[in-house]
Amino acid sequence: MATVPALEKPPVVLADPPAVRPRNGWRKYWHLYAAISPFYLLFIAFGLIPVGFSLYLSFHRWDGLGSMEWAGLSQYQYLVSDSDFWSSIGNTIIIWALATFPMIFLAMVTAVMLNAAVRFKNVYRFAYFLPNVTSVVAIAIVFGSVFSTNFGLVNALLQAVGLDQVAWLNTPWGIKVAIATLMTWQWVGYNAIIFLAGLQTIPGELYEAARMDGAGPLQTFFRITLPLLRPTLLFVLVVSTVTGLQSFTEAQVLLQNTSNDSTFSGGPDHAGRTMVLYFFQQTFDNNDFGYGAAVAWGIFLVVVIFSIINWRLVQRRDED
Amino acid sequence: MRLSRRGLLRAGLAGTAATALGGLASGCAVPTGSTGRNLVLWYWDGGLGDTVIDKAKARYGSTVDLQAVKIGGYYRSKLITTMAGRAHIPDIAGLKGEDMASYLPNADQFVDLRTLGAEKYKSQYLSWKWDQGIADDGSMVGFPIDCGPVAHFYQYEVFRKAGLPYEPADVSRELNTWEKYFAAGEQLRKRIPGTSLLTDVNSVFENVVQQGSKRYVDKDRNFIGDQEHVRAAWTLAVEAKRRRIVSNLVTGTPDQISAVDSGKLPSQLGASWATYDIKNGNPKTKGKWRIADMPVRPSNNGGSFLSITKACREPEHAFEIIAWMLNAANQASGYVDAGLFPSTPASYGLKQLREPDPFFGGQVTTDVFGPAAQKIVVAYNSPFDVALGQPIKDEIKNVGVLGKDPEKAWSDAMSKCRRIAKHLGVSY
Repeated sequence: MATVPALEKPPVVLADPPAVRPRNGWRKYWHLYAAISPFYLLFIAFGLIPVGFSLYLSFHRWDGLGSMEWAGLSQYQYLVSDSDFWSSIGNTIIIWALATFPMIFLAMVTAVMLNAAVRFKNVYRFAYFLPNVTSVVAIAIVFGSVFSTNFGLVNALLQAVGLDQVAWLNTPWGIKVAIATLMTWQWVGYNAIIFLAGLQTIPGELYEAARMDGAGPLQTFFRITLPLLRPTLLFVLVVSTVTGLQSFTEAQVLLQNTSNDSTFSGGPDHAGRTMVLYFFQQTFDNNDFGYGAAVAWGIFLVVVIFSIINWRLVQRRDED
Repeated sequence: MRLSRRGLLRAGLAGTAATALGGLASGCAVPTGSTGRNLVLWYWDGGLGDTVIDKAKARYGSTVDLQAVKIGGYYRSKLITTMAGRAHIPDIAGLKGEDMASYLPNADQFVDLRTLGAEKYKSQYLSWKWDQGIADDGSMVGFPIDCGPVAHFYQYEVFRKAGLPYEPADVSRELNTWEKYFAAGEQLRKRIPGTSLLTDVNSVFENVVQQGSKRYVDKDRNFIGDQEHVRAAWTLAVEAKRRRIVSNLVTGTPDQISAVDSGKLPSQLGASWATYDIKNGNPKTKGKWRIADMPVRPSNNGGSFLSITKACREPEHAFEIIAWMLNAANQASGYVDAGLFPSTPASYGLKQLREPDPFFGGQVTTDVFGPAAQKIVVAYNSPFDVALGQPIKDEIKNVGVLGKDPEKAWSDAMSKCRRIAKHLGVSY
């Protein structure tokens, strides 16, 4: 009960002209600010300062140990002309698309099934969520075996239906498919749970009304479920874009054997070299911290552009 | 209720503040390095032998508290982060051989070991190894730990069945050129179908480059990766592919491990520490292996150093400790504990290194690695070698794995190198 006045007061004080009682307000509420400060302090130390420093770094040449040298815009000029960076953007987008669209489809199907399930609901939810909390490194090691050429599960299946072996981790497309499969497997369950939450907010009356109007299950899904799931879909799409465009561990662990010397080179023809992998290679293999920072900002821009595209796409459909 | 909530808040705040202050205080007490009583040594798993560390702690315990900290994960990035942060820098830091090129241009961050009298130990160490620890300006950054002489590992029975020389002395003598080695690979494939001499073309390319006294960038910041020494290595690697003596497998994958186990990949060009990799990765092959000289001449792969950072307050004392830890007798014990092949030739005659190794059919492997270590020539280790060697290694891999046209691959590698060289300020 005591919380109510305490929570209601601050807006009133803040609404007063600041010149009247600013010090008073600060003195009165300092402990509230102090109470919320840990987050901001940690954010400043481990978020804001590093972000600012990386921007500063990107205008310099630095080997990580010696003195920094002003480089002006030259790191960014090189970034724009760096075909390796552009190809890493291409790789990332292809892998992201190969992973995300099947993932959304499977997650939605799973969610609808989970929604309809009567028994063992929680067991299923737990089981589908499990891949998402498993260490990516562990998953990648297992997938490395699954996709291995002579003894892999995938090739065993292919051969069982009379197809040829594929050297998954040693051919450009095989690498992309393997990484995308891993990411799909890892994220289906998580997003299914999100979709499930979305499904459960759809009022039952709508389905009843649809049934009374004679709509079949497919019609119900496309006319009622899907439109009402749009906000959830937007969330899922944005989150998977941001995580997918920053994929790193999957490719790094899956391809560390195929990448001679550098564990960040992404396998033959750099087929699995994602943007973040390229950033790591420049920074930690080549000790080119300034350029690495510029690459990081390039990645940031790409992620922003994709988020805007996603947002516009889903938003526009809403206006129709 | 109101009071108790306030109380809770205050207690929480006080706790947070105390923790923050405590952290700050402990941070201020030891800003850089140590007080002299504490001596912090950073190394990585397998970087030094445990016995040596324990003995050093006991031996110098009356004057210093030696704290040897095993750093996990990406060692170099943790070390340079700490050094760039200028706090809690270790007094003694292990430096990995492959990272030396990135430390040497920053020799001013380390104590020049010559000023501590390092020169008087020089004659006890392999001279090429000693030189690798010295920066361009002549100051000595690293004191030699181990080295990694590369030799030819092969499976005795498989070579015998293929009609090839199979006793180590014969293999060393008869497969002493790349031509003879490749010819042996062809004979092997003919006699035992499904067998390849080597896993991939990169092992040919990289070992040939490592055998030479030049690599990708010279001392004056010129790109030399387009010259004859790299071209020759490239040609040999392409030839290995053309003569079909390499497999299409990838080192370290289940496929490759099982091929090694079953004798389908009976030959490897590996450094002394690869004995441990084979023992761990292919335990079933115990007794099947022998070791002989690599074709042409040995090369070096790996091997690390100990350094004293500028943050160290007792450099003389620290130097006394590392010089003792890395003397011939202790290097022999490092060899037993962690497979660190000594950089002190006097160790090669000690009984720890004269043990017959049952994994290698009772061979005394030092008979091969010891003389090899003394015949090594090394190239200048440029900080730009990694960035400018990688495109060439990547393209030879595309030739080996994807069957890319070698001419096209070479010109792609060169145009990429030209671009990167320009970016790094290396003249092409």
